[in-house]
Amino acid sequence: MIVKRMNRWPVLLALMPLFAACGGGAEQETLTVDDQSTATQEERMRKTKKIFYNIPSPMETAGLLKDAGADYDGKILNDVKNVDRYTSASKQALNLGVYGADLSYASVFNHTQESMFYTSCSKKLADKLGVSHAFNDSTIEVMQKNQNDREALLDVISETYWSVDAYLKENDRENISALMVTGGWVEGLYIATQVAAVKATPELRQRIAEQKLSLNHLSGLLNSYTTPDPALDAARADVEKLTAVFADVELPMGDGGTTEENGVTVVGGTAPAATLTDAQLAAIRETVTAIRNNYIN
Amino acid sequence: MIAAMNFRSMLRHSFAVAALLVLAASAAAQCRSFAKNKCVPELAPFKFNETFNAAQLAPGEEAEVNLTFFSGQEYRVLVCAHPILGNVNWKLVDAHNKTVFESLADDPKSHFDLKAASTTQMKVVVWVPEKGSSDMVHVGCVGILLGFKEN
Repeated sequence: MIVKRMNRWPVLLALMPLFAACGGGAEQETLTVDDQSTATQEERMRKTKKIFYNIPSPMETAGLLKDAGADYDGKILNDVKNVDRYTSASKQALNLGVYGADLSYASVFNHTQESMFYTSCSKKLADKLGVSHAFNDSTIEVMQKNQNDREALLDVISETYWSVDAYLKENDRENISALMVTGGWVEGLYIATQVAAVKATPELRQRIAEQKLSLNHLSGLLNSYTTPDPALDAARADVEKLTAVFADVELPMGDGGTTEENGVTVVGGTAPAATLTDAQLAAIRETVTAIRNNYIN
Repeated sequence: MIAAMNFRSMLRHSFAVAALLVLAASAAAQCRSFAKNKCVPELAPFKFNETFNAAQLAPGEEAEVNLTFFSGQEYRVLVCAHPILGNVNWKLVDAHNKTVFESLADDPKSHFDLKAASTTQMKVVVWVPEKGSSDMVHVGCVGILLGFKEN
């Protein structure tokens, strides 16, 4: 919600009971409010169109990788020991996304023990970011209880991820949400390119090439924030680097027609599958690895 | 005297701001809770793609979500609005700016299921109909969610 800045003292006074009620911990430095209802309405009229960018979640990406014939390789994931190294909010947010992607990858490929480790790392970072409200001890308990039930485990992980995302967005910490989404997406692409280094099936090349579309959305998401934020600026620069290496990747588009198949509407029309040359794949792998290593170190 | 008036004015101001903040926080939490309890279950048997796109909208306002659909995958696009807003209009528009699906308030549909033949980008546009002339502006949560099927 866009709100105007005004006298800070009443705002601070007003925030105190909210912090107390929520158990504290969450810094909401950018939360300001305008008590002029007419001004709020005018603001509302000016911003009548809200635009969102939907970036594939770590779980969706991991599922696409599995469908594309990718194998599981736990060695490529971020070391759980790194979790205590992240002291700034921006690093915590990026690595909450990274560990979230690692968690999804391990869970989708049914590596329960690793899933529990990555859950623990994610929980630590969520606590540090003040998102315990959306990711609490009962979540861990439910996951432990369901660790042998893959579907139930995936459901809990999925619900936790979106609850954290929603909590951040609703508490005017959209920049943290955007960094988390960026970290998760970058880790997903990193995993895909690492797996493809060993077994670059046409399906895997296709899914990596198609990330060009998600990259456009990620760029749109990051550029939708106008408040100065060095961490978002750095993320935008990373996205620009990736945009440059994806520039010559061609994505054939369907004719846009719709047909019917077993009662389901089929959209997009036919188009040849996207692909990547070895050189393109290597360039994407090299760039995303450098960006990801900068996030985790 | 002036100092006391200023203090009273500041105190009044603080209470007004506090009330607004509590209301805003409550409305925000209600949006998340509304999406969780009302919208996400409607995605079944599809899996929620975990991206929370929800906004507090008023009549006349519009929201747009840009989505990527991957080839061979089946999806459910779901729009759910808080009853205070009544039925909302929404449509799914493809990359050629062609309307693939439209649900209007007088014949509302909460979701649209589709299969992507090729990987494509589309957007969901939601707009809340105006409701005659009224001084009361009702603001309600609108969730735009995407579900996918695990193969």
